[in-house]
Amino acid sequence: GFFVLFCFVFSLFKVRGPPPAGSVKQRPAKHTAFRKFYERGDFPIAVQHECVGNKIAWKVEIEELDYHYFLPLFFDGLCETEFPYEFFARQGVHDLLEHGGNKILPVVPQLIIPIKNALNLRNRQVLCTTLKVIQHLVVSAEMVGEALVPYYRQILPVLNIFKHMNVNLGDGIEYSQQKRENIGVLIQETLELFERYGGENAYINIKYMIPTYWSC
Amino acid sequence: KMPKVSEVTTKADIKPKSMHRAKIWSDVVENLYRFQQAGYRDEVEYKQVKQVDQVECWPETGFVKKLQRRDNTFYYYNRQRECEDKDVRKVKIYVY
Repeated sequence: GFFVLFCFVFSLFKVRGPPPAGSVKQRPAKHTAFRKFYERGDFPIAVQHECVGNKIAWKVEIEELDYHYFLPLFFDGLCETEFPYEFFARQGVHDLLEHGGNKILPVVPQLIIPIKNALNLRNRQVLCTTLKVIQHLVVSAEMVGEALVPYYRQILPVLNIFKHMNVNLGDGIEYSQQKRENIGVLIQETLELFERYGGENAYINIKYMIPTYWSC
Repeated sequence: KMPKVSEVTTKADIKPKSMHRAKIWSDVVENLYRFQQAGYRDEVEYKQVKQVDQVECWPETGFVKKLQRRDNTFYYYNRQRECEDKDVRKVKIYVY
């Protein structure tokens, strides 16, 4: 009798769980400073369409560029998802990091906000691109990995949310791993690079922000 | 004076005798791919057109690092291989 009464009362006042927090929900992207500067013609770049693939042509030699001005601007463009902004930002960042040498290290603190903004969008495509850019940044020059350690608390929280985004297909083939688009794998690679290039304090700082991470 | 003019003409007119397509990737094919992406046949034509003695290369791999196109914009290339297997067939090898 009491049990039946309890079920009846329970069905009247249904206890609902908490609403979804939306931690993995995409945020709307705003127009970036990169887009504004590109449309004004402030960037010394032009896209060349060749039969063997697209490449970015620089009107000015990269060695002559002021990295304090251009590198954060290009990183800001990582939030873009439309052509040609997304292509120019991605390829431009790649060229600047590949050929920057010792000009990259002094600019690292200015790159943190653009990286954080890109990760906070929670957009899958932007996440993949940004993680690959971070991996390139870590290995681009000496001491960059160690310079990033104080900023782990700004970059790693979003990675903690998406770290377990791996698909369990049983014995199926996960093609996104081959194409380097699997977010879980990319995050694991990025964390391992942080640990390898971050010096002595890297692991403990990573572990503080991502408790489920294990040393590589 | 005549020998100097003829010498200059000869240098500017170095043209290949034949051409064939690459079949497998190698360091030479990789560099040819990079020159052809920038709009040149190969290193010989690049040095003729741009009037340079040396081409900037990556010290670790020996691959071309930077080229100036005919419109004076610059192409930058990666330290590692860029020419994928599917693009090897498009690379032209010139024989002088």
